[in-house]
Amino acid sequence: MKTFEEKWTAWLDGELSGDELSQFEASLPDKAAAEQEKRDAKKLGAFLKEQLQGRAMGNEEFFHHQLRERIAGDARAENVPEKAGAKPSLWPLGRLIWAGATSLAIFLVCAVFVMREKSPNDQSQYLTQILNARVDPAVSPNATISMFEANEEKVTVLWVEGLQSLPSEYATK
Amino acid sequence: MQRRSLFLIGVSLALVLGGAVSAPAAQTVWSGLVMANNVAQPDAIPPELQRIQGTLKALFGYNQFKLIGQSQKTLATGAEDWLASSKYFSLHVDSKGETPAGYLLNLKLFQEKNMLLETEAKLSKASPLVIKGPQVGDGQLLFVLVVQ
Repeated sequence: MKTFEEKWTAWLDGELSGDELSQFEASLPDKAAAEQEKRDAKKLGAFLKEQLQGRAMGNEEFFHHQLRERIAGDARAENVPEKAGAKPSLWPLGRLIWAGATSLAIFLVCAVFVMREKSPNDQSQYLTQILNARVDPAVSPNATISMFEANEEKVTVLWVEGLQSLPSEYATK
Repeated sequence: MQRRSLFLIGVSLALVLGGAVSAPAAQTVWSGLVMANNVAQPDAIPPELQRIQGTLKALFGYNQFKLIGQSQKTLATGAEDWLASSKYFSLHVDSKGETPAGYLLNLKLFQEKNMLLETEAKLSKASPLVIKGPQVGDGQLLFVLVVQ
């Protein structure tokens, strides 16, 4: 059993015939308006068919040739690893070893430079250095400070003169 | 095969890097309060001072060097502090960190609660530091620091 909408669509398309056509047209409340609508629909259909037609391809043969070539190329690329039975690899082993060895060599060169810069090459860096020294003037108002190096045994001496002398019991452990 | 090569190269690099940048081993800093004086029968010099006894004897003119206080500190981080003290004197050492040649130290010498001297020094591993302190009786007080 067709619904009214289905029958309406079929009527607009001219697909109803016989008893079905006469029954449907009799059921229409305003047949003149329906006929007008049918004409409008046909006009619209004809217009759309005319406007929406695809453009004709100018170089159809060339396009098809290109397409076939691309498909054949893709198929070859897919088939090669399967035929060879090899796994896809990032780098071949030889190149990988060379890259590793080169990186190692570059690193060693850099490390040598860095270590050479860090290593104390000046004799004074091997000796202890006094950066600053001060005595409390309230405790030792006459004290003076000097510093020097006794190079035989690489001893650095901070010589403080003028500290208050103390009795011998201050030598207790 | 390639994974194994990558792994071997990675391990090699790690070993080389580790060897090149590894931190130096922990060092011990010996700090001593030394009483120097002249006696007829001098005691043997303490082992910590043996390597500098020539300089000590020549500089200060004494024949006996006795320890009245000492401290031995193994520096793990290079930023530690410690105290070497006798009954009346103390040496407070505050290590501020490691330098290429040794340690950066802040030193404070105290006579009981009075600070006699404050100094900052880069103590080298190869070069002991001797500080001349006050005259005590007929002798001389010295403060000595050595990286062992």
